[in-house]
Amino acid sequence: MRPVSIMTFGVAAFTMSLTAAYADGETIAVFTKNQTNPYFQAVRVGAETAAKALDAKVIQYIPTKPDSIPEQLSQVEDVIVKKPDAIVLVPVDYKAMVPAVEKINKANIPVVNITDRVASGELVAYVGADDYNLGLATARRLLKAMGGKGNVIILEGVKGTLTNTDRVRGFNDAFKAFPNVKLLGAQPANYQRLKALQVMENLMQAHPQIDGVLAANDAMAVGALEALEGARRKALVVGINGSKEAIELIKSGKLLASGDFNGFIQGCLGTEIAVRHLRKQETPKEIILKPVVIDKTNYQAYETPIEQRQCPKVADTATH
Amino acid sequence: MSHAHTAASGRLALPPDIRQAAYRLLAAALLCIALAFFSDAFFTTSNLLNVLRQTALLFLIASGLTLVILTAGLDLSVGANVALSACLSASVIKATGSPALGFLTGIGSGAAIGLANGLLVTALRIPSFIATYGMLWILSGLTYYYMAGETIHGFPPSFRQLGSGYLLGIPMPVYVMVVFWSLGAWFLQRTVWGQQIYAVGANPVAARLSGIPVQRRLMLVYVVSGAMAGLASLIILARINSAQGDIGETLTLPAIAAVLIGGTSLFGGSGTVGGTLIGALILTLVVNGMNLLQINASWQPLVTGVIVVLAVWIDTLTPRGADQ
Repeated sequence: MRPVSIMTFGVAAFTMSLTAAYADGETIAVFTKNQTNPYFQAVRVGAETAAKALDAKVIQYIPTKPDSIPEQLSQVEDVIVKKPDAIVLVPVDYKAMVPAVEKINKANIPVVNITDRVASGELVAYVGADDYNLGLATARRLLKAMGGKGNVIILEGVKGTLTNTDRVRGFNDAFKAFPNVKLLGAQPANYQRLKALQVMENLMQAHPQIDGVLAANDAMAVGALEALEGARRKALVVGINGSKEAIELIKSGKLLASGDFNGFIQGCLGTEIAVRHLRKQETPKEIILKPVVIDKTNYQAYETPIEQRQCPKVADTATH
Repeated sequence: MSHAHTAASGRLALPPDIRQAAYRLLAAALLCIALAFFSDAFFTTSNLLNVLRQTALLFLIASGLTLVILTAGLDLSVGANVALSACLSASVIKATGSPALGFLTGIGSGAAIGLANGLLVTALRIPSFIATYGMLWILSGLTYYYMAGETIHGFPPSFRQLGSGYLLGIPMPVYVMVVFWSLGAWFLQRTVWGQQIYAVGANPVAARLSGIPVQRRLMLVYVVSGAMAGLASLIILARINSAQGDIGETLTLPAIAAVLIGGTSLFGGSGTVGGTLIGALILTLVVNGMNLLQINASWQPLVTGVIVVLAVWIDTLTPRGADQ
């Protein structure tokens, strides 16, 4: 029994930090994919900010193993027993979590889906940004800044994930309007900065002239920047996520741009819609946030720490 | 005349460890020749130094792990150890501006985690696989809680030299690798403690009966493995100039693979640090080659997997030395 108790201790110590209650009122269970990606931290802060403003209570559920399908499935099963008033769900996998959504439906708990759209199931609403258009807009920003000519490298995220597939598809489609830009190649760096650094170092060996780097997230963009700096080479680099680090690098002129996925607003709107639905107020069926590319011209708005930002009102957000 | 006997039996008159290392060097050389054939960029000074610099990082983690595996144990917490040590030392450098304090924090935290692993294995007698697996979760939890999705970045240039600097045209991590390879080889082959580690791995009961302090040697290998993870975390910080909670997530399995490709037996008692270096080199060459040849992202894990299995399988075919 000893080994088991060691492991449960680890898990218990971990979940303790995640289940702090904030206010009274409706209880909203918020599911995100992992503890590591700042994007999901922004979603959680958004959810808490919205709940606070509405006197509701948020309970966070995060798989201890990042993006673990079985763990999120069992967390959903646990939550159904606890009967929260509503659920805000970022599925770790858009197909694999369909049975979980069906179970939530069967238990008659309203569910708002944010970020990755689940393949099927009954939803109060879906709130998301569109990865494809975000990738397209971010890539266009880079190709324009390169004057429509030069050599480009793509750093891909985790192969097989919906976000990566759509972002990279957006990247690739951006080249159509820029026939004089050459795509040298696309290599996987799994959304990780160390891997991106090493992959970039390797690619620089094969390609003496790289003018632009399209990274499917900010961490990989930062890894590529470090590799370029280490080799005393220059290229324009863009990432996606609008992380705090990316904003600072845009400010200092090192990073050209970052596509904004706006986890904070998704967390806000998802929670707000859930509460409005419970209070029998009108709610939109779907909100798709427009892609925003953060660069030198508009980064100031993103300098406010997410904890101090205000949630937008659902009523003020245009539906598409 | 044992020499005459060896020659008569048709075998090379080389110690088994050296012969095993030679097979592996040959495999690495064949890989290099193949890559040079397919890519012009491969066989250049700058790419070979690039490969060595990347090998250094993997080697540092795998070298400490080699000692653990020599005792027939396993340390699954090295990646999570790297992550926590990197994040702690990053905060200390940020708060104090002192690379020296950051250094102490990184290695100290790594060694302390190793000590905890050692206590679980020796005092509580938990199998190392399970003790360090539990530790992996505990450390990840602590790291994620501590970082809360944040990133720490921007360290002083003096600290960054360790990861991205050069001395006489050779990257700094390569020197660190050579130092620890020499230290490791000397320790295992030439010291009593080193020899006792082999004995503990080969047969713990016999080792205890012959008066070897088995528990203390076990403590030692976990502390060394932890401290090496702490050192690797510093090199990672210096290279990528930032720390994030997920920094160590994909480091453990390649490190174990490097040790196994390097010829160290999972059952303990046989293997060398030099073998691990070659194992780390082979794994790094594979990724470097796939990047240079632009192998499609979907195929890369498959190629890596096939090469790991092949390397260990070929190892089982080659004749083992007289020690078996």
